[in-house]
Amino acid sequence: MIFRAVEDADLISRVRCGDVEAYNLLVSRWEKRVFNYLLRLTASPDDALDLSQDAFLKAYQNIRKLDDPARFGPWLYRIAHNEAYSLFRKRRPETALEDAATERNPAPGFPMDLSLAVTAALDRLNPEQREAVVLKVYEGFKFDEMAEVLGCPVSTVKSRLYTALDLLKTELAPMNTRSVSRGNPC
Amino acid sequence: MLSTDSPSSSFPSCGRAEALRDYAFDELPADERLAMEQHLAACGDCVLELDRLRLTTAALHTLPDREIPQRFAFVSDRVFEPSPLRRFWNSGTLLGQNLLGFASACVLAAALVVSAWHLSAVSRPAEGRTVVQSASAAAASPEQINAAVAKAVAQVRVQIAEGDAQMIRAAIQTSERKRDAEYRDQMVAIGENFMVLQKRLNMTYARLSSDEVAGSGAGQ
Repeated sequence: MIFRAVEDADLISRVRCGDVEAYNLLVSRWEKRVFNYLLRLTASPDDALDLSQDAFLKAYQNIRKLDDPARFGPWLYRIAHNEAYSLFRKRRPETALEDAATERNPAPGFPMDLSLAVTAALDRLNPEQREAVVLKVYEGFKFDEMAEVLGCPVSTVKSRLYTALDLLKTELAPMNTRSVSRGNPC
Repeated sequence: MLSTDSPSSSFPSCGRAEALRDYAFDELPADERLAMEQHLAACGDCVLELDRLRLTTAALHTLPDREIPQRFAFVSDRVFEPSPLRRFWNSGTLLGQNLLGFASACVLAAALVVSAWHLSAVSRPAEGRTVVQSASAAAASPEQINAAVAKAVAQVRVQIAEGDAQMIRAAIQTSERKRDAEYRDQMVAIGENFMVLQKRLNMTYARLSSDEVAGSGAGQ
């Protein structure tokens, strides 16, 4: 992880000297993660792709404003987060993510694959809780990095994450004991 | 949407729920981590809660990452970005073109005035001063600029006409001199040829007369 951060910092210094290919290399390292992060926020591959492109473009335009190149990841996710929320506000000023989440919900209670159950359970979280889970569980950020991405204190981040996990634990309890135990006999 | 109330905030009963979760996500400092591991060895509730957390996160990880449908690539601005002048020209449309047209006209007028002043200063210093004065006054109004430019153009035309006339006169004189020289050369050549012919004729007469004398001598 440290080695990767050093390499990113090296690429960023080259980008700052005008090396566009260095930025393309940086993009290739992060594009899949950023796309999946935005996909889990928006539930729309098209939106996620457009937002990813916008986020990378803004990051390129503002890369000189990045104080600590070792913190490129959280900084990039912060841009992606802002892009996503800007889109939600533009489309639905009042309800934003909440309606988007209910639209993609599969009907609960059906016998479904575990991944579908997880999708349904995630969709029933509120947007802040869902984003906290995505950043921690899927993207592997530390709490201070999550706080940087979300623009809130670490205590708020932890509160959102742990509340979400309690809810997910309840939602997925009957299923994860069956499916995960079946998938992982150890 | 689910409620935001924590459904199991009182579990585990030992009151170390937050530390346990930090431990599960590897966010606990090293010293507290060791203490938590010792606590887990003795607290059944915490062990159960830790298993539930791990099962939940394992279930969440069953959602696979998707491949990005389209890769991103950026190209160099220096290659594709138009020059600042080109951007100004393209973006300004009429405004930019009008400004540039006006600037071109000003440069042309200034060049004419300076050129006329320079020519006048070389040949007629007094008139040169007049042109300079006109040029400085021309800055006041477009009519004065036009008058000064017309005057300068007229002066240049007169000078060019005078120059042309001088050149024509010189060319005529040169041509006349050349023609006279050629005439003289031709006359000399004709004279020389005449003398040569005259000599040949004299020699022929002399030979004929000598032949007659020789014939009459032989007949006698």
